[in-house]
Amino acid sequence: MSSHRCFFALVSLALPVAGCRERQVASYRVLREKELPPASVAAGAPSSPAPNTPAMSGNAVSTANGPGLTWTAPTHWKPIAASAMRKGSYAVAGIGGADADLSITAFPGDVGGELANLNRWRGQLSLAPASAAELAATITRFEQGGLKFAVVDFDNGQQRLLGAIVPVSGSTWFFKLLGPAATLAKEKSAFLEFLQTVKAPSSATP
Amino acid sequence: MSALYRQLRDVFVSLKLTVVLLALSLILVFASTLAQVDLGIYAVQEEFYRSFVAIWRVGGLALPLPGGYLVGGLLLINLVAAHLHRLKLQWRKAGIQLTHSGLIVLLIGELLTGLWQEDFQMAINEGDSKNYSESFRLYELAVIDTTDPKFDDVVAIPDSHLARATVVQHPKLPFRVVTKTYFPNAALARRDASAPSPAAGAVPIATQGIGPNVAVTPLPLTYKMNENNVPAAVVELIGADGSLGTWLVSPDLGAPQTLTHAGRTWRIALRIARAYKPFSLQLLKVTHDIYVGTDLPKNFSSRIKLTTPDGRDDREVLIYMNNPLRYGGYTFYQYQMDSARGLTVLQVVRNPSWLLPYVACIMMAAGLLLQFGLSLLAFIAKRRVSPTT
Repeated sequence: MSSHRCFFALVSLALPVAGCRERQVASYRVLREKELPPASVAAGAPSSPAPNTPAMSGNAVSTANGPGLTWTAPTHWKPIAASAMRKGSYAVAGIGGADADLSITAFPGDVGGELANLNRWRGQLSLAPASAAELAATITRFEQGGLKFAVVDFDNGQQRLLGAIVPVSGSTWFFKLLGPAATLAKEKSAFLEFLQTVKAPSSATP
Repeated sequence: MSALYRQLRDVFVSLKLTVVLLALSLILVFASTLAQVDLGIYAVQEEFYRSFVAIWRVGGLALPLPGGYLVGGLLLINLVAAHLHRLKLQWRKAGIQLTHSGLIVLLIGELLTGLWQEDFQMAINEGDSKNYSESFRLYELAVIDTTDPKFDDVVAIPDSHLARATVVQHPKLPFRVVTKTYFPNAALARRDASAPSPAAGAVPIATQGIGPNVAVTPLPLTYKMNENNVPAAVVELIGADGSLGTWLVSPDLGAPQTLTHAGRTWRIALRIARAYKPFSLQLLKVTHDIYVGTDLPKNFSSRIKLTTPDGRDDREVLIYMNNPLRYGGYTFYQYQMDSARGLTVLQVVRNPSWLLPYVACIMMAAGLLLQFGLSLLAFIAKRRVSPTT
């Protein structure tokens, strides 16, 4: 090939190549993912964390040690293996795959206090933080087997969160049921009955 | 040969053009280095180097500069044209020609990297498996047909389409997706209907789903390395019989919103852009070792199970620092982890042209060696011929 033909071909080809970077509308079929409750996406923070937050590496969070609580879960709740973070974990089946997630966690101390933790939960439902006075009206308190329960019910129209905070001998336990509002409406009574089964070990004092 | 062609050729093969382009690239590097203070490295790469024209903002001035593609592209043309024009196959010039060819390969390699490289991440919880990676900064509007109980039919619309308010009519969708409003960065809050100030979002931004309960505050774009822009958009779905309503979508909403239309169920969500893979990774265990008695990290590792749907691959892999998994054209690096939560984040990189810079450097080194070697031999030979002088 003569050199000038080569040269013209190059000039005409080289520039438009750079235009190929435009992202296109794509369509594909994928296997249905296991329905993850949204809290696992934004766990712990009211706003979604930056995906590339570099501060995450090795931030070991210590969970509460010492005597643990025991409980009896309803038979239709499917136990999931507890992780380093979770003392207990259950999948609560909903209608049409709209599953809810029950997590039981425990941490030393008061973990910032009741107000901060309830507002953290509100954040997970994209609800604005509430003041102590506003929250006081929404908390149901009861005592059972020497344990003090603070139970809340938050709802953003789509997602609902039923939670209980239980202080146990210097640490704080959290019971959280999070999922689609329809599923939780069905499961609320089961959740409250479940809380009644929570027992402290004989040595623990609240 | 026409006069126009000769003129063009003379411009493109001239050494003056090379010098001008090298000078322009110096200015570009200087300007982009200063701009990096405000824009951050990612925006600078995109605006100064992966563009034809860059706008350098100094004080109140906006100076247009030739972008990396223009300077690099012209340099490439200049180099190739000069090469072809002056091509003489001689041993004496072999070194120079090899060195220049290496330079051409290097320029092409950078262009292809810019076009083809994918840099994504994959966050997996212990016990979970994933078959897709997620972008660091791009978003997409996913419209998902969930009618089939086993499969999701996904139509993913890049956020760049939302930003340009392109009307998307896709054969798999029984409605058009029309972007009414797009915020490249926004904060969401619960809309307080009782507070009638416009700032609190007195007027609902969207009519369907969670939209009526949410107020959107636009935020300025952030270019900081540790912050992300979280976009929000209001999209209208228009079916054959007219509008179905408007939806507010944002990655901050967490859960996708559901709608039914024409007997099918759809979910709509603005989410981090995904790239699905023909295999899946399950996280078996994360390990984070520290040196005894200190907080200094010693080792991060993730034990992964790699499976393909056809069963051809089903094996365990250990990914740790400097020991990535290379599979299917992708490289998975250990990127971040949170061992307490049993979470690992892998960086997923695909760069089909990753070898080209290495090839280019070898070519240039070999070319220089050859050229110096030939000169040395010629010099020695000359001294031998005239020993008496």
